[in-house]
Amino acid sequence: MSDFSRRLPVYLLLDCSGSMTGEPIEAVRQGIKALLSELKSDPQALETAYISVITFDSSARQTSPLTELMLFKEPQLKASGATALGGALNVLADCIENEVRKATETQKGDWKPLVFILTDGSPTDTEEFRNAVQRIKSVKTANIIACAAGSNAKTEYLKQITDNVLMMNTLSSGDLASFFAWVSSSVKMSSQKLDEKPGGAIQLPPPPQGFVIVP
Amino acid sequence: MKRIAEAILSDGTKLPYVITDNPPAGGMKHTYFTPDKKFAVQFFNDSSHANDIELHKRMEYIIGKYNPTLSEKNGGAKGNTEESANYFSKRFCWPVSTVRYPEFGIVCPAYPPNFFFDENSSEFINLKGKDKRSNWFTSKNRKYLRDEECGNFRSMLKMSLLLARSVRRLHQAGLAHADLSCNNVLIDPKSGQCVVIDIDSLVVPGIFPPEVAGTRGYIAPEVLATSMLPSGDSRRKLPSSYTDLHALAVLIYEYLLLRHPLMGPKIYSKNSAEEDDFLAMGSKATFIENPFDTSNRPDELGVVIKDLGEPLEKLFIQAFVNGLHNPEERPSAMEWEKALAKTWNLLHKCENPDCLAEWFILHDTKNPVCPFCRHNVRRDSIVRLHLKSKLKGKNGQWTDCGTVDLHDKMQLYKWHVLSNVFPNEKAERTPVADIYTSNQQWFFVNRCLKGLTSPEGFIIPAGHQFELKDGSVFRASDDENSLLISVTKGK
Repeated sequence: MSDFSRRLPVYLLLDCSGSMTGEPIEAVRQGIKALLSELKSDPQALETAYISVITFDSSARQTSPLTELMLFKEPQLKASGATALGGALNVLADCIENEVRKATETQKGDWKPLVFILTDGSPTDTEEFRNAVQRIKSVKTANIIACAAGSNAKTEYLKQITDNVLMMNTLSSGDLASFFAWVSSSVKMSSQKLDEKPGGAIQLPPPPQGFVIVP
Repeated sequence: MKRIAEAILSDGTKLPYVITDNPPAGGMKHTYFTPDKKFAVQFFNDSSHANDIELHKRMEYIIGKYNPTLSEKNGGAKGNTEESANYFSKRFCWPVSTVRYPEFGIVCPAYPPNFFFDENSSEFINLKGKDKRSNWFTSKNRKYLRDEECGNFRSMLKMSLLLARSVRRLHQAGLAHADLSCNNVLIDPKSGQCVVIDIDSLVVPGIFPPEVAGTRGYIAPEVLATSMLPSGDSRRKLPSSYTDLHALAVLIYEYLLLRHPLMGPKIYSKNSAEEDDFLAMGSKATFIENPFDTSNRPDELGVVIKDLGEPLEKLFIQAFVNGLHNPEERPSAMEWEKALAKTWNLLHKCENPDCLAEWFILHDTKNPVCPFCRHNVRRDSIVRLHLKSKLKGKNGQWTDCGTVDLHDKMQLYKWHVLSNVFPNEKAERTPVADIYTSNQQWFFVNRCLKGLTSPEGFIIPAGHQFELKDGSVFRASDDENSLLISVTKGK
């Protein structure tokens, strides 16, 4: 059965800029830990979800390649520098092109990737950001959910990437924990509802308390 | 942060429950538990359900006049006896009440503890407290569980039979579950028990059917194929007992063969995974073991439906070849129940101590081999009872009605010796006789059969025994429905 099952690629784009130093970055570490343990205990997610982490500060990189849950190693996260969100989107586009299996006449393709972006600021690489947004739009094979965390996060940039933008008011460890718990419910729900209506809008669980959907 | 809230039930009773952050949630509902964890209090994710009059009416019927877990005397289903209610209260997690405050919801008993993993269930993952959804056991996830947790072929067959019986009970009342799936049937292979949960979206006669999305892999092909049509379009196929029968067949196939019957190598569309899957599970679905169309057949299948014996092979073909796209052709739950009961009698213990399946169906005594580990069966270990029942209206004529493969320390029940007893929820579960073997000899021990006559013509009273020899024939009791039993050894 394993040979014919498809993967659900999940990309986490995490802001590791200087402003995340201290409690926030620690909360993100804990959040990833909790996310993994939660997903591993869900049979559908365990079977289908593959996780990758892309971090961005003054530049962006793929910290963990797309890996099945049981083999995933938690990334080393450090907060410093600026907010190269544009760079991160380019890395994401590269990763999707390289890692996500396309459907062909002889190969079962992967499910449409799920992408979660978490940022507490606005892109400092505005020119690259503009181009990367265009590139992501043209790839158009992913469901992207962006979350603006704390009062400095600018949702107008995120709105250019995707219609699914959430806002959480603080960068507190409680709010970040809720965010990761919500990501895990979203992945679980998606791994169950993969089949319905190709091309249909993605269904996500209601956002946690204190989070606002940006219209 | 945990805090206690109070729900007010439809009859005015107050029920405390613990509010938790991120409560366990399914596609439709989220769940809290009472402080003693005996009951689950569930609310709908989409609060518009709270005001849905059809839902309220449906729940009223489900809890009342269609309730198989409550005797008729206590307000349950018509004709339901106390015994039958007790039996099915173990097979279903049936709602006991609706909640009217703080919003519309339902109260169900929590499932028994054996349907939750404990700290010893897996060496690799902390599963303590997680419910035993069946895809833990039937997918590649199985490898993360301890062997003890996975039971054996016999326990999987037992759960198949129990599930078929539960679905038959629903259908018999005109109900349909509408969302049978790996998530809504919890299984405990260790004990061979299963329980059907999420009873709130049942299709109830005379009430507008719920719009259930269903679960990937269990949605009937015709439902998925027409799910793109707008709500209310008459061509759209909605959940019904026919769609349950697809899901039931998928679950039984998964329990017995540990793989999905439609997920094979065939590529249906190269446009996208979503489109490919939509066809693979919908309008173009092809059984991986379809004998006439091998386009979806994996190179290596291992154990196949033929290894399960003729009755089950026939039903799988009926379900996944004839009935896959013709819902009316699908075998009924009653047919599954009968075929599984018949098959149960042919369980043979594998003598290979390393065989993980431990048991298999010995359907071909000419070529006796365990299909799971390929271990050959010693011919002299095959001892069988062939059951014959009286042909009605034809004095002295008998007809074959089944075969029982014997193993040491086996118990026989009324349905093994009487033609008018079927092993269903009404059958008495007290053994009437025992089988044991010693020094290559096999013995039949009477527990409580009246008028059991040995092959030599002697009455064998309760507590006494006689030897089963090849070719011997005996009458199980003096009951007019008693079967005539003949013995074969080594063939």
